This record gives sequence, structure tokens and C-alpha cells, in this order.
Amino acid sequence: MPPLAQVLVDGVFTGASYALMAAGLALILGVVKVINLSHGAFFTLGAYVAYVLDSKGVGHPVAAVFMAAGIAFTFGVFLGKSFINPVRSHPFSVAVGSLGFAILSEQAAQMLWGPHPLSIDMGLPWATLHGVTLRRWGVISFLLSLGLIGGLSLFLSRPWGLPLKLIAEDEEIAGSVGMDVEKIRYLTFGAASAVAAIAGALLAPAAAITPTMGRVPLILSLIVVIASGMEKVWNIFFLAIGLGVLSNVSAYLLAPGGSYLLLLGIVVLLLVARPSGLSVAAPGRDY
Amino acid sequence: MSDLLLAEGITKSFGTNRVLRGVTLAVGRGEVVGLFGPNGSGKTTLANIISGLIPPDRGRILFEGKDVTRTTMDARFRAGISRTFQIPDPYPSLTVIESVRVALLCGKPARHAGGEEKEGMEERLESLLVRTGLFSQRFWPAAKLSQGCLRRLEFARAISCLPRLVLLDEVFSALSARDEAELVGLMRSLHREKGISFLLISHNPLILEELCDRVVAIEDGRIFWEGKPGDLAKYVPAANHAHGREDGMQEEG
Amino acid sequence: MKTSPYGKIPGALAAGAGVLLLLPLAGIDAFFLDVLTLGFLVAVYAGSWDIVGGLAGQVSLGHALFFGAATYACALLTSLAGWPFPLAAGAALLLSTAAGAAVGTLSAPLKGPFVALLTLVLGEAAHEFFLGQMFFSPRGGYSWGGEGGIPVLLRGQPLSPWAAYYSALAFLVLSTWLMLRIARSEEGLFWTALSGSELSARASGVDIQKHKRRAFMVGAALAGAAGVGFAACVGRATADDFSLELSFQAATFAAVGGRGTIVGPVLSALVLHSLLQGTGIPPAGRVLLYALALLVTLRFFPGGVAGTLRERARSRRMVLPGKGEGR
Repeated sequence: MPPLAQVLVDGVFTGASYALMAAGLALILGVVKVINLSHGAFFTLGAYVAYVLDSKGVGHPVAAVFMAAGIAFTFGVFLGKSFINPVRSHPFSVAVGSLGFAILSEQAAQMLWGPHPLSIDMGLPWATLHGVTLRRWGVISFLLSLGLIGGLSLFLSRPWGLPLKLIAEDEEIAGSVGMDVEKIRYLTFGAASAVAAIAGALLAPAAAITPTMGRVPLILSLIVVIASGMEKVWNIFFLAIGLGVLSNVSAYLLAPGGSYLLLLGIVVLLLVARPSGLSVAAPGRDY
Repeated sequence: MSDLLLAEGITKSFGTNRVLRGVTLAVGRGEVVGLFGPNGSGKTTLANIISGLIPPDRGRILFEGKDVTRTTMDARFRAGISRTFQIPDPYPSLTVIESVRVALLCGKPARHAGGEEKEGMEERLESLLVRTGLFSQRFWPAAKLSQGCLRRLEFARAISCLPRLVLLDEVFSALSARDEAELVGLMRSLHREKGISFLLISHNPLILEELCDRVVAIEDGRIFWEGKPGDLAKYVPAANHAHGREDGMQEEG
Repeated sequence: MKTSPYGKIPGALAAGAGVLLLLPLAGIDAFFLDVLTLGFLVAVYAGSWDIVGGLAGQVSLGHALFFGAATYACALLTSLAGWPFPLAAGAALLLSTAAGAAVGTLSAPLKGPFVALLTLVLGEAAHEFFLGQMFFSPRGGYSWGGEGGIPVLLRGQPLSPWAAYYSALAFLVLSTWLMLRIARSEEGLFWTALSGSELSARASGVDIQKHKRRAFMVGAALAGAAGVGFAACVGRATADDFSLELSFQAATFAAVGGRGTIVGPVLSALVLHSLLQGTGIPPAGRVLLYALALLVTLRFFPGGVAGTLRERARSRRMVLPGKGEGR
């Protein structure tokens, strides 16, 4: 039984990957303006990509990350362009449709790899400090997440990020200055999905790879986005790390099922206590 | 206080934007009061607060002597305050007659399933539609109506349960001359026959001068003038300004 | 103007019902009889979703919560507490309805996507809980729960396949009739109003919270009734009764059949379920096909089958202006 310190550190590393997912979800919420329930499916995709590569002898995480990102981006763009963009204005279709896609992927994964948990070799520990083992997956996760989140924060605050912010705030203006809003939307969707897959590939060595493994990260990302909003990217990072730690610690103290229940309970509390939530979906009316 | 409605000390901010700063407005029984102001003056927000769509940050609303500040919009409708919307939001899957029936069903405090009661309601519904000129279109999908007819539908809905006060939010704007004349006539006859009070919100001083007993001018979240409609152009520069413009601006409905 | 706007559809439905009545007499295989029996129950379940998510517009992605609550109530009360089944069934119905009231109250202040999220999370929570929870019988030292589920004890003779079939069919016909009646009632009108334009509904005096809660209660009660029937037929309550896949199926049947039409979801559930289960496709494959059907429908036929038909009938019914336009 690993000591609590180990659980905490692993929680930080896990949380860093979840931060990536949450950032992606926040992007989708802001730019495409939908609540995307298929986000977890891309996480799962990333994990299975890592598994397949590992089983073929290519165990290095960076390779997995690139493959996962590439495949997920393609799928994400396809989904965004062919489904999400056209049905954006129907909240029912988006919610149920993205869930449908998630379930479709779960079933496909089950048919391809079976329902039983698979695992990847964690790799040799890199360092051991005071009895806490730092493994390769953890350090790479953390550093990569830090880098990507930092990059995103930088991107949004510089001129290159202006198109995204403009679309998030006022679509009409964005369109009237000649931006191809639809294209930016599905590209953002693809990029965010790629990021979710990267998170999955990074966490794969530490997790039990199952078809439904994407549900917990999805719930977690939703918590982060609902609680911290879309504005401050760094808020997302720290909140996700906090939740990663919480999730790991509770899985250690209660059973893994108890950890999931705790997260679900947090969502319920958030939704009940903050009914205004975020303003989503169809543009509001000015009365 | 013999006022029908008293909105007292209404303050509202959206974020850092102070939209209303301590506004007080009263409407007496059987009175037609006009609320004049340009866009951004806060008149729509005030209408939203009086009708119960949003709560004020500070202040209270007294209706027939009772404090209704914390009640919901639907409760206010049932209590006798109704309103129309500047941009109507018709039910996408109901017909005209069904749309009005919803309001009629809500307004009645006690509903018995007796056959006579139901027939009475159907009659009232039909005569209401005749009155507002919507009878021939009563089986149309509500969403397919022209702008002028949508306004009439709003009107029909708002008066269906014989309220004491109706807030008309820019109900005459961007209507054809004929639609506007008909709606004006409708409003006048209701006021005469049933003694319904109206709070008429408009940026069009001509309408206000024609219909109101008293006009209140709002700008920048504050009421800065109150008086007879005829004096509006004299004391309110914005009205004067708009006067010349409005003459040539009657759009086709 | 009281001509039936539905054309030949009631006749077709009656004919279909007649066929279903006669099927067992025609010597159909026991397996298919079973499939259809369950299909009838799933159809009611789908219709119950339509009350909440179609008529009242409250998209619920956790409808299985009400279904599972009923099956587990039946199982626990008969196996653990020793209640006779009819009593347990009554309690199960009450429990489902209460759950509906609770969910309706919690979700009333929320905007659309967040209602979906809340219901999804509640359904998942129930699923997770019962997946891991073990129950111990009072005396005999049995323990149930988890994936194996909890048995449902029916005293007396087990239901014969024919009796189950006809009871389920009667239940389906009765429930569908009831749901259609409610849809056409005052309450149904309020639901259509609040789902079409909450703003106009509020401005017309509709108490949104109250009516949303009622929609959930009615939908939950009917889902619970389907659950009771399921518990009686299958004899077991498992955590799958709370699963996301089951919640998802309800939304799928409604989308494909036509949200808000009641008949559309009922029929699509009956047809799809019976077809896919009857042809022996494994569960994973079935759910995958449902998901595909859903995505195609949402993308290309948002109104579903019945919804598209109804739109066409409606535009035919509209009295168009002759000369002298839009007065």
C-alpha cells in the first residue's frame, strides 16, 4: 500500500493531465458554445492508442502523445464539421448527440479490445525522493501539461488568440470582419479533442484501460469548467490539480467507486448551488 | 396610497454597469402612463423589474398595496400585472388559439372540470381573438404570423385575464400605419371599457402624446421629468430630436 | 373543424395492435414472445421519457434512475423484507414518483444542457452505488448485489409466457392511451408552452417550477411502472437497470421516433428493441447501432419519424390566406 505522500504526488500528476482535458472542454464551451459530452471518449482514444503502441513495442510516451493527438484531431475535426457545427443551435441534439458519440466509442472499444482492464508498463522510476517514487509518465505529464497550458494562456493573451476570443464574445462581429467562424469552430473542436487524447495517452501507464475509462475525466473536466469558468486558464490548471489529488486520495481511502461517487456528488452540489451556471448554447435575447 | 402600482427606489446594476439609480414610478387606477427614453436609458430594465422578469438590487414594488417585489413573473400575471415583449417569442409548436388559451387557463384561480365552465372559457377565447383581429388566423402556427399579428397576439395574451395593469413594451414600434392604428384603437377601447391601466414604454413621443394621461422621461437610469404629454417636446430634448425623425419612419409591417 | 388531423394513423395503430394480439396464437417461438414482452415494457419506458424530454422539453440523460429505482424496490422489498409482490410494486411506484419529484425540483432552475448534466450524474451515481453495494438477507445468510443483482420473489406460480405477453401488451396500450390523454390535457398544453418558449409561458402565468416538477413525476411514475413489469418478468434487479446505456436508449428512441409525439418513441422503441434483440445481436453491438441511428437522425431528421410526419400534416392543415394578405 503506497504511503499517502505517493498518492498525493500521483494525484498531482494525474491532475495535470486532467487540466489539459478541462482546458480543452473550456475552449469548446467558449468557442463552439456547446457542452461536449464526447470529450471523455477522446481521452479513452488516447489511452488505447498508447496501449496499442506499447503492445507493438513502441513504449515511449512521446510517440503515444503524437499518435494520439493526430488521430484525435482528425476525428475531432470530422465530428465537429459533420455533426457539432450543423446541430449547434439545438441543445438537445448536441447534448444527446455528443453522448451518443461517446457511447458509440465505448461500445466500439469494447468490441475491439473487450471489457476487461488492460495495462501498460509504467516504466522504470526516474527518481525517488523521501520514499516517493517519481515515474516517467508522471513527470512527463506534469511538464507537458504545464507547457501546453502556459502556451494556451500565452496564445489567448496575444494577437493570435484574438479570433478565438472574438468568437467567444461576439460571433457577429467575428463573422463581419471576415473570419471563417465555422472553420475556426471545428478546428478548435479538433484541437481540444486532440488535447483530451494527449491527456489519455499520458495517463495510460497509471490507469486501468477500459472502454468506459473516459467517464471520470469527463465529469472531472466538467466540474473544473463549471466551477472556474472559461476566463482564467491558470485557474483551470490549479483546480484540476486539486481535483486530481482529491480523486486519487479518495480512491485510496474509499474504493475507486467511492471516488467516482464523490466527484458526482460535487457536480450535483455545484449545479444546485449555482443554478445560473454558465450562459451556454443559443445566443441570449436582449430584452 | 391609492396608486395601483408603485415602484419605489428601484436600483439595478449589471456587473459594473449601473442601469437604474433609485427610480420611483407610480401608476394610478385607470391611468395611462408613458415611459419615454432613448435606448440604454434603462426603461426596458425597469419594465423587466416591474413585470417580474428580473429582481431589483434595491427598492420595492407595491401592487394594490401589496409588496410583490419577490414574486415571480407568472405570479404577477396571475395577480393582475401583465406585459408584452418588444420582440415576441411565440411558441414554436402551438397555434394562435392555443397560445392564448395557455394564458387564459393560468389566469383563472380555480378551475373546475365542469362542462359549462369550459364552454365559457372557449367563448371568451374566441371573442378575445375576434377583438384583436386574430380570429381568422386562429389555427395558424403562432410562429408563422407577421410582425403586426405577433404584436396583436402579445396583446391578446396580455389582456386575456383582464389584468389591472398592462406594460406595453414598444408595442407600436416598427408597425405599418394600419397595424398601429388598429392596435391604438384596441388599447383605447380596453382602457375605456374595462378601466385597465397601461404603462406605455416607447421612444416615440408622438404615440405617447396621443395616448397618455401622464408621461415620465427616463435617461441614464434616472427619471428627470414628469408631466403632461403635451409638454414632452418642450421639456425633453430627446423628444424634440425624435419628433422630426419619426414622421418619415413608418415602416410597412 | 374537428376532422382527425392524424389521417390513417389511428387505424394503422389499431391494426398493429390486432396483429400483436394474435401473434401468440399464430404459434410464434417462445423466445420471440419473450423479446416482444420486454419490448412492450421498453416502449412504455420510452414513452415516459418523451413526457419529460419531449413534451416538457426537459432533456433527461438519467431516466434509468426511475426505472432502476422501481426494479430495486421490488427486488429488495420482496427478497429482503419479505413483502408480497403487489405491495412491493405499489411501493416501487411511489418511490419512482418521489424520485421524479426530487429530480424535477432540483433541475427546475437549470438551463437545458445543465438539466441533461444533472440527470446524467444522478443516474451514474445510482448505478455506481448499486454496483458496489451488497445486501444481506435477514436470516439465510445470503448476500446479493453488485453485478449479480438482487432477485425478485414472486410468490405463487410464476407468470406463464402467454400471461406475461398479454399483460405487458395491455399495459402498453393502456399506458400509451394515458400518455396521449395527458399530452392533450391542460397540463400537456402547459408543458408544450414551457418547452417552446419559457419566456412567453412565464408571461402567460405558467408556474414553471411546478409544471416541470409534474412532468418529471409523471414520466418517472410511468418509467417506474415499466420497471415493475420488468422486475416481474425478468425476476432480477441488476445495476444495469440504472446504466447510462439504458438512459441513453430512452433519449435515442425518442429522437428517432419523434420527440414530443409519444406514439413515435413508443413505436420506435418497440420496433428497434424487438428487431435488434430478436436477431440476436450482442448488447454491445445493439447499443452501437442505437448510437448510430441517433446520430444520423439528429443530423438529418431532427424531428424523427413521427415529428417529420406531423410537421407535414400541420402545414397541410394551416388555413392559408386567399386574397388580401395577413390580416
